[in-house]
Amino acid sequence: MKSYINEFLGMEKPTDYYSGLLSDIEKLNKEHHFITTLNKDISYEKDGRLPFTVKANICVKGFETTAGSKMLRGYLPPFNATVVDKINASGRFSFLGETNMDEFGFGTFGLNTEVPARNAFDNDYVAGGSSSGAAVATAMLKYHVAIAESTGGSIATPAALNGVVGFTPTYGAVSRYGLIDYANSLDKIGVMARCAEDAKVAFDTIRGRDRYDTTCSVETIGNKKRKKLFVIKELMEKAEEPVKSAFERLLDRLGGNYEISEIDSKIMDKAIAPYYIIAMAEASTNLAKYDGYKYGFQNEDTNRKYNDFFTDARINFGAEAKRRIILGTFIRSESVKDKYYSKATQVRGMIIREMRSILEEGFIISPALPIATPKIENASKLTPTQNYAMDIFTVPPNLGGFPHITFPYEYHDGLPLGAQLVTGHANDYALFDFVSEWEELFEYRFRHNLGEI
Amino acid sequence: MKIGLEVHVALPTKSKLFCSCSMEDSDNPNSNICPICMGFPGSKPMLNEAAVRSALGISNALYCKINRKISFVRKVYFYPDLPKCYQITQMEESIGKEGYLELENKKVRIRRVQIEEDPAQIVRKGMLTLLDFNRSGTPLVEIVTEPDISTEEELREFIANLRSMLYYLGVDINKEMKADLNISVGETRVEIKNVTGIKSLIEATRFEVERQTEAIKNNEKIERETRGYNEKSRATESMREKETDEEYGYIYESDLSTFDISEMKHADPVYINKIAAELAGDSEVNPKTIREITMLNRSALAMIYRFRNRYRVRSIIHGIQRFEKYSDSTMKEEDSDRIEKLVKLIDEGKDISREIAEDIIAGKEVKVEYSDVSVEEIEKMVRKFLDENPGVLEEYKRNKKTVNLIIREISSKNNLHPKEVAAGAAAVLKSIAG
Repeated sequence: MKSYINEFLGMEKPTDYYSGLLSDIEKLNKEHHFITTLNKDISYEKDGRLPFTVKANICVKGFETTAGSKMLRGYLPPFNATVVDKINASGRFSFLGETNMDEFGFGTFGLNTEVPARNAFDNDYVAGGSSSGAAVATAMLKYHVAIAESTGGSIATPAALNGVVGFTPTYGAVSRYGLIDYANSLDKIGVMARCAEDAKVAFDTIRGRDRYDTTCSVETIGNKKRKKLFVIKELMEKAEEPVKSAFERLLDRLGGNYEISEIDSKIMDKAIAPYYIIAMAEASTNLAKYDGYKYGFQNEDTNRKYNDFFTDARINFGAEAKRRIILGTFIRSESVKDKYYSKATQVRGMIIREMRSILEEGFIISPALPIATPKIENASKLTPTQNYAMDIFTVPPNLGGFPHITFPYEYHDGLPLGAQLVTGHANDYALFDFVSEWEELFEYRFRHNLGEI
Repeated sequence: MKIGLEVHVALPTKSKLFCSCSMEDSDNPNSNICPICMGFPGSKPMLNEAAVRSALGISNALYCKINRKISFVRKVYFYPDLPKCYQITQMEESIGKEGYLELENKKVRIRRVQIEEDPAQIVRKGMLTLLDFNRSGTPLVEIVTEPDISTEEELREFIANLRSMLYYLGVDINKEMKADLNISVGETRVEIKNVTGIKSLIEATRFEVERQTEAIKNNEKIERETRGYNEKSRATESMREKETDEEYGYIYESDLSTFDISEMKHADPVYINKIAAELAGDSEVNPKTIREITMLNRSALAMIYRFRNRYRVRSIIHGIQRFEKYSDSTMKEEDSDRIEKLVKLIDEGKDISREIAEDIIAGKEVKVEYSDVSVEEIEKMVRKFLDENPGVLEEYKRNKKTVNLIIREISSKNNLHPKEVAAGAAAVLKSIAG
C-alpha cells in the first residue's frame, strides 16, 4: 500500500533537507500563497521527521495564528491545540507552518481572505476553501501531511480541487481544543494527504478523547465494509457538466466491485439552508470575543465609550465575516428564533436520521462539487447564495457529523476532479480502505513535488 | 404587591466553573487565569462537577424537579468584563426547576436553579478602567423565584430561610450575594438590577415599594423600566440606558456536551424551621429561639443533638444563649466543653450569676455547692410555694408537667439540688392532690 510517510521515514535524507525545502516553499508561496506562517527553525538535526502543516485556525504556541483574519494579525497563542500536542508527541512529524484559509473558515473557494491561496495546478484557478492552503500544500509537497478543518465542506472542497485525499472524521473523534471556532456543533479537525494510508496514519495520530473538549467522546473507530454505493438522485440533479459525465464514468469503473444504486432523498437537498442558519448563528457568537483589546488587533485609542471602542475594532472583519455576524445575530433574535434556528435544528435531526439509515446499508458517493474548478475571476463574481449552493454535496455529511473522504478520480483540462464518499458515524476506517483500493486502479497526478529526494 | 427575585451566589468550589484555575483569593490581579477563563480563541470550557453537585443539592433542598440531563446556553452581550462577550449559563435544561421555599404562611415558588460563570471584575482607578480576570469563571448559582413575595417581612423571611438552607449546604450567601429584583406595587413591573448584599436588598425593596406606593397615591405613571440601587443615597435610580426587552440572542452552547446528572450524589438539606419546631416540642422553648441560635450555626445545632439525651433542650438553649451573651460571640465547636458546664448547672436548676458564667466561659474552675437542707424543710418550702401560688396547684391538676415549674422555682431560689426538690414536691403533691 502506498505510503509517503513510510517511504520518507525509511529514507536517508540530506542534512540540508529542510533548508532546501523552505526555500522552495518560499519561492512557490509567492504565486500560490498557501503558507501563512513558516517555521524557519525546522531543521534536520533537531527534527528529521515528516513535515506537517496546520490550517491557520489551529493554535500553535508561539506561532502567528490568524484564522485568516486581520482581527488576529500578530496573535501568538499561549498554548498548543490538542492535535498539535498529539502530533508532536508521536515523534514522527515536525511542524513546518500554518496554511492559508478563508477568514474564520467562511468560504467555499478560499477567496475570503486578504491574500487568497491559488490552485496548485494553475494559479488562475481557485484553490477551494476554506482549507485552501492545506490542500495546495499537500499538492505541492511530496512528503507532508496537512491538519485541516471542515465545518460544511472546508476539507472536501479544496482537497478535490487540488487533487489530494481529504478526510473529515466523525464529529467528536478528534479534539477541537485549540481550534479557533467557526461553528462549534459542526467544526471537525481532519487531515489531507497524498494517499489514503497517510491520511489514516495522520488521523490515528490526532484522534482520541480529550478532557479539554467535552464533545470529543468518540474513542472506538470501526471498519464495517460496505458493498453498496448509493447515489442520491436529488443531489445529482444539481451537478453540471463536465462533472456529471465524469462522475458517471467513475461509477462505471466502480461497478465491477460495488453494487451501485440511485436512491431518492426528500431531505438531503434541503441541507444548505439549515446548515447556514446554524453555522451563522453559532459563528456570530464565536466572533463576539474579538473586541480589540485582548489579543490580535489592538485598538490603540482606549479613551472612549465601550460601544465605540468595540465598533472600531470590529471594522477589521472581512465582508463575509460581517455578513455572517449580521445574519447570525438576526437568526438568534427572539422574534425569529423559532422560524429559523429552531426549525433548522429540526431539519438537521431529520437529515441525520435519514442519512443514518441509508449509511447502515452502504456508502453514499457523489462528486465533491457540482461544477469543475472555476477561475478566480469567475468565482469572485458569484453572489453569496450562488457560493453557498456549491456546498450541496459536502454539507449533508458535515451537518450530520458523518465521516467522509474526498479522492481524485479524473483530470479535466489538466485540473483534478474529486469524488466524495460518506459512511456512518465512527466507521471512519472503512473510508481509507475504499480509497486505498481505488489507488490501486488510479494514479494521482501532482504538478509539484517539493521535498522530493 | 408582588416581588420576585433572582439571587446569585458564588459556589464554594476549589476551582473555577469551566477551567482548573484556583478559586482562592489572590492579592495579585490576573494571577488565577488561563486561556479558558480569559476566553482565548480556541479554548473550550470543561465542566466542574463539584459546582454541579453543589447546585444539585440546592435544587433538591428547594424541592425542585431535577432535570436528568443538563445543558448550557450562550447569553451574548458586549461588555469589557465578559471575556468571550457571551456568558455560559443555563435555560430550559437547567439543574432544577419548579420548586419552592417554605415561609411560615406561604410557599414562594422557585422557577429555576441554574449555574453560570461570573464575569471579570472591573476596577476603576482614577481615569482608568482596569480588568481583573481572577473572578472570571467563578461558579455562580442563580435562584429565580416567581413573584410570590408580598411584603418586606416576607422578603426578610425568605432571605433568612434561604440563607440558612444554603449555609447548611456549605454556601455562604452573605459573602457576595447579588440579586436582581422585580417589584410591582400596582400593575407595572420595575426591575432593580445588581443589588449587592442582604442589607442593600432589603433597603432597595423598601425604597422602591415606597416610591411606587407614593406614585400611585399621587396618580403618577410608573415607568416600566430597569433601575439600579445606589448604596450611598440608599435609593433606586433609573438607569440611563433603557433596557426594555433586552436581546441576548440565546443559543445552545455546543462546546459543552449534555450531561446526565441523574446518578449524581449531593448533600442533603437541613430545614432549620422544621428542626426548631421538633426540638421545641414540649420543651417550653420557643421554636423561634432555637431557630435564631441554629440558623447560621451548625456547631450549635450539633451541640443540641449531642446533649439532648443528657439535659433538657431548654437548658442547652439557655447555656448557649448565656455563652453567646457573655462571650459576645457565636459559639463554635471548641466552646462546647465550657458550654456544657453552663448547661449542666442550668439543668440542675442552679442560679448562675454573671460572674460565675464569665468564669466558666474563661475556662476557670468553678464550684457551685447546693445548700444542705432536710427533706422536711424542702416539703415545707413546697407547701409554702403552693399556698402563695394557688393557681399552680389548679394548673398541676390539669397538667402534671407543672411539677417542673415548682421544682425549678424552688431549687433556683433556695440553691437546692433539683433532684431533692423533685422528691419533696412529689411527696407533697401526692398528699394534697392524690
